Amino acid sequence: MADKKTIKFEIVTPERTVLSKEIMQVTVPTQDGEITILPEHIPLVSILKPGVLEIKSLDQSMDIISVSGGFIEVLRDKVVVLADTAERGEELDEERVATAKAKAEKAKAEAINREDYDLSAVAVRLEVVLARERALHKWRKLKNIK
Amino acid sequence: MAKTKEISRRIKSISSTKKITRAMEMVAAAKMRKAIEAVLRTRTYANLSWETVLHLSAMANGNGELRHPLLVSRSETKKVAIILITSNRGMCGAYNAAVINKAKDSIKIHPNVEAEFILVGKKGASVYSQKQIVAAEFPKSDVLNNSSEVVPIIKMAIENFLSTKYDKVFVAYTDFVSAAKQVPRVKQLLPVDINAEDEYLGIVGDPKVSVTKDLIAQKKEKHLAGSTGFEYIFEPSPEEVLDKIIPRLLEVQIYQALLEANASEHSARMSAMHQATEAATDMVSELTLFYNKARQAGITAEIAEISAGANALLD
Repeated sequence: MADKKTIKFEIVTPERTVLSKEIMQVTVPTQDGEITILPEHIPLVSILKPGVLEIKSLDQSMDIISVSGGFIEVLRDKVVVLADTAERGEELDEERVATAKAKAEKAKAEAINREDYDLSAVAVRLEVVLARERALHKWRKLKNIK
Repeated sequence: MAKTKEISRRIKSISSTKKITRAMEMVAAAKMRKAIEAVLRTRTYANLSWETVLHLSAMANGNGELRHPLLVSRSETKKVAIILITSNRGMCGAYNAAVINKAKDSIKIHPNVEAEFILVGKKGASVYSQKQIVAAEFPKSDVLNNSSEVVPIIKMAIENFLSTKYDKVFVAYTDFVSAAKQVPRVKQLLPVDINAEDEYLGIVGDPKVSVTKDLIAQKKEKHLAGSTGFEYIFEPSPEEVLDKIIPRLLEVQIYQALLEANASEHSARMSAMHQATEAATDMVSELTLFYNKARQAGITAEIAEISAGANALLD
């Protein structure tokens, strides 16, 4: 295992560095769909959409991070994710996610009723909340918490 | 007696000034702590994103077919814009003067280039009296909460750059190194160019970790080279990615520059006010000494007068 290739992975938001470590592989939600990056990936730049990042560490354990959008830069042995916001699975609180979801759905319902309202902004917000929820569920499933 | 009265009045006025400067020092210290926290939080993001943008520009100016208008340098520089970040209030030592002089110095080096200022913060208005052209003024809040404040600034910069009104856009701000040290800096924002003069190619923050051409070249070799060459792949397409990524990352750069400037301002104000408080303390003790001397001299003179009068009566 010693000579196995790894990726130096770093995910940062304007507020903080969320995670920085050596990993085996990472799956990211880009605009064109999910991509999985393994070591020795060719350099790539892409736009992220709200979704869930799945990271496989050296010891095969998984990390779940929800992002609300941003960019990814893949270098030969390094991956940098510049996220707008990001939360690790263990930081997500079910209650808060649920209220945020209810709020976003209500805003969407209101927006549909009122024609002059900017629907795209509301839709983006809902998407972010749903991404967070998905991340939470994935993380729970992973850790076998009900 | 007239003299002692005057001295005691001065002592009083200086001690009340001292109270004010001490209070201002406390306020600046509290604001500084917050500002430093904010600046350190976003620094990693800003530096990493600047690195990314510089890589992209290295490719755009190379032989690749990728040519984004915001990345390509123009052959001739006729007019530049300098976004000058200053404080809203004074009482912060040489903070504003230092950054304004730095900006003016870099204008002087290039006499054939016309320069226009875009001011952020009220104190930048002093460039009006120095016969400089000002294109716009933006307000700046003392505590920044989110990056939405920089959107109009960056929008104006990008629009004027694309319309070829400006051939280059710089940002002049004060880099926060530590509470005791702040360095004024001029950084090239547009076009994003790896070949810019070293002075203008900085990553915000500690100069020790700033990006140099060597580092970028090294990174290129280490991380990008391979059987397929240096090229990045872009998803969905280069245009789409760059159109989205570059304005956003420039926004981050300006935001970071504002945060650095804020942290520097509060540190500068804190140390200026600390010095003022110390100077006031020295002055008060000196004046107290004078006061006591004058008082003693007054008493001595009075006693001499009385005893002289008594002696005159005895004779």
